[in-house]
Amino acid sequence: MIGEALKGHLDLLLLAILAEEPAHGYAVIESLRSRSGGIFALPEGTIYPALHRLERQGLLRSSWSEDSARRKRIYQLTPKGQQSLAKRQEEWKKFSKAIDATVAI
Amino acid sequence: MKENQIQTYLRKLERQLWVRGLADKNDLDELESHLLESMERGLVQGLSAEEAERQALEHFGKIRTIISAFEREGMNLMQKILLALAILSGLFIAFVDSRPTWDDTGITAGAMLLSSGLLTLLGYRRPWLIALVIGLWTPLYETYLSRNFHFPGVILFPLLVLLIPMIGAYAGWAVRLGIRKTMHPA
Repeated sequence: MIGEALKGHLDLLLLAILAEEPAHGYAVIESLRSRSGGIFALPEGTIYPALHRLERQGLLRSSWSEDSARRKRIYQLTPKGQQSLAKRQEEWKKFSKAIDATVAI
Repeated sequence: MKENQIQTYLRKLERQLWVRGLADKNDLDELESHLLESMERGLVQGLSAEEAERQALEHFGKIRTIISAFEREGMNLMQKILLALAILSGLFIAFVDSRPTWDDTGITAGAMLLSSGLLTLLGYRRPWLIALVIGLWTPLYETYLSRNFHFPGVILFPLLVLLIPMIGAYAGWAVRLGIRKTMHPA
């Protein structure tokens, strides 16, 4: 159930993680896992098509880093991505508040 | 040299992505880099090379899952527009070909060849689908008009006609791939 629910909010989570600092896919997944206390654990490979889509939409841009022993594709937010993140965060606040108010016992 | 589990996995994944017109060298390099990093993490944790590979692949996901994710996310607006154009081209060719005054099979075949080649050259990622939606209407309509529903003609005729847009679509796709490789050799 968590996996399915997560898919609907994956863009927000990815943008929020990358808003802090540019990162490669592996680091994004690690961050997603550690920040959620291991709750958000999607199959790692499914994150990449989502990152590529966000890049096609102009919300992210990527570049290849040769600094380490291995080539890494580093993603970072574009100005359009920052705007989109702010909008999604607002929507999420309203949504989660409404859910809380509805299911609170 | 014996291929390791990650190499085998990536080879299968690449083949599956290629069949769907989704294979991209940069994307595959990125996935390989992820798997190797994940494996290294396992080695640091004290796992054997074999266990570390297995764990990396387990966390990464089954090939089918990854393919589904790529397919789900890969259908962007441009792809939808190109597919719609292919359907319209196929219907138009079938319409012209079905006119009683039309008697030039060569031009019909040429139109199929050109339109399918052009659409994959422009960037549609599934040549087989382009060939299908361009080439299927003409034989279907022809079969309907002739009322010849007998086997094997009813199967062989559409397959034979489909060969033409199939050649065009894969030719356009191959040219695009060649151009892309020339422009981005890495």
